[in-house]
Amino acid sequence: MKIDSVLSLSYSIAKANFKLRNEGSYLGIFWYLLSPLSLFLILLFIRGNISGVEPIEHYPLYLLIGLVMINFFSQLIHSAISVIQNNAGFIKSIKIPLEVFVFSIVLQSIFSHIFEVVLIALFFIYFNMSLIGVLFYLIVFVFFAVFVLGVCLLSATLGLYVSDLGNIWTIASQLLFFLTPTFYVVHPGTHLYLGNLFNPIFYFMTAARDVAIYGTMPAWWMIGVMLAVSILSFCVGAFVFNRYKGRFAELV
Amino acid sequence: MKRIVVKNLNKKFTLDHKKRAGALAKIVGVFSRSEESKRLLTVAEDVSFEVEQGEIIGIIGHNGSGKSTLLRLISEIYEKDSGDIETNGKLIYLNGYGQGLQPRLTMRENIYLMGALMGLSQNDVKKRFDEIVEFSGLSNFVDAKAYKFSSGMVTRLNFSVTMHCVKHHNPEILLLDEIFSGGGDIEFFDKSTKLVENLVQGGATVILVSHDLGLIEKYSERVIWLENGKIREQGSAEKVLSAYKNQ
Repeated sequence: MKIDSVLSLSYSIAKANFKLRNEGSYLGIFWYLLSPLSLFLILLFIRGNISGVEPIEHYPLYLLIGLVMINFFSQLIHSAISVIQNNAGFIKSIKIPLEVFVFSIVLQSIFSHIFEVVLIALFFIYFNMSLIGVLFYLIVFVFFAVFVLGVCLLSATLGLYVSDLGNIWTIASQLLFFLTPTFYVVHPGTHLYLGNLFNPIFYFMTAARDVAIYGTMPAWWMIGVMLAVSILSFCVGAFVFNRYKGRFAELV
Repeated sequence: MKRIVVKNLNKKFTLDHKKRAGALAKIVGVFSRSEESKRLLTVAEDVSFEVEQGEIIGIIGHNGSGKSTLLRLISEIYEKDSGDIETNGKLIYLNGYGQGLQPRLTMRENIYLMGALMGLSQNDVKKRFDEIVEFSGLSNFVDAKAYKFSSGMVTRLNFSVTMHCVKHHNPEILLLDEIFSGGGDIEFFDKSTKLVENLVQGGATVILVSHDLGLIEKYSERVIWLENGKIREQGSAEKVLSAYKNQ
C-alpha cells in the first residue's frame, strides 16, 4: 500500500473516531478543552493562594502551554498501548497496513489539539501578546508530534508483549507530570534540572515557551537535542514496529 | 497460470502467551536461566498445494484443523514459520461481512469508513455509493444511525458494502472463509447468494473454506481435507468428500 493511501485511511479512521467521541454530547468539542482548562484553573488558583512562590512571567500562558503538551503526550501513549489490541477484529480479518491504527490515534489527537491551539491564541489576544508566538509554537509542535509518533509506534508494539504496560503507564505518566516543569520552573544546577535533561518533553516544552511566550530563541544545544530526539524516536519506533508487526495478528 | 503455490508450509502458534506477558514476568525471564518450555500448537505442517487460474477449490476439516489459519497465511495476515507461499494477482480474504461497522455513526458515514478499511479511496466510495445503498434496499435510512437498525438491516448494509468493495477491487484471488450468502430475509438471501455466486464463478481463483459440504460440493472442483494442520487428503471433490463423510 502506498504512503498516500495509508495516510488517507488513517485520516478516515481518525475522522470517524473523532465524530464518535463527540457524538451525542451537548458540549461536543468543548470536552477537549474542559479537561486542560479545568486543570489549568485549579493550578492557577492554587498558585494564587500560596505565599512565597517564585514569580513566573506570563504564568497563565506558561502553564497552559505546559499542560496541553504533557496531556498530548500522556493521553496518546495511553491510547497507543492498547490500540493494536482494540483493533484485533480488523487485524485478524483484513490485510491492512497496521501503521494506520497508530497514525489514526495521533491524527485524532492532533485534531483535538487544534482546539487547544485556538484556546492558546485566545489567551494571547487577551494578554495583548503577538499572535506570531502561536505560529512559533506550531513549529515546535511539529517536531514534538514526530517525537510522540515514534514513542506511539514503540508503545503500540510493547503493549502487545507486556500486558500490564497500561497500568505501568498510568503511574509513570503521573510521575512525569509532576517531574516535568509543567506548572513550576526549574533552575540549572538543581537535581530536578539535571533529571530533566534526560526528559525529552522538557526540551520541547522549554523551546515552545521560549519561542511563543518570551520571544527568544532556545539555546542551540537545546534545539539540537530536540531535533535529534524527534528523529531518533521516529526511527526507533518505526524500526521496532516494522520488525514485530508481522506477529501482531497472532498476539491479539 | 498458477495463482497460488504453497510449498512445505509450516506454522506453529505459541500457547500460554498471556501468562508470561506481565512486565515482572518479562524481567524475571531475562534474569532466570531456566528456559520454561513453550507449549506449541501446530497449525500448518508441511502443507503443499497449487491452485490454477480460475480454479475453485474447497477446504474442509473439523474445527481447529487449520483452515482459517491457512487462508490467513496465504493472505499474509499471519507470518509463516517456514516454507514458501507464492500468490500471483490481487488477493482478497474475507471472513465476514462488514468489518468496522460503528453503531453510533450514520449509514452514510459507515459506508465511507468501511470502504476505506477495505482499501477504497473516498472518491471510489463516492462512485459506488448509490450502488451500495440500492443493493442494500435501505435508501430511506442513509442518514440514520446504525444502532437504530434491526439486525437484518445491519446484515444488509454489511454485505452490500463488503461485496461492492470486493467487486471494485476485481480480485484475481478470492479466499472465502465460512461465508457465502449475506443472510437476512429470503429475498435478500437469494439476491446476495446470486452476487457471491457471480463473483465466485466470474473467473477468479477461489478458495472456499466451509463446513457446509453441500456448498463445497456445488462449487469446488477440487477439495483439500485438513486435519491438525496437515493435508489428510486432496483430490476431486467427490472422492475427498465421500472419504470425509465416511471417516
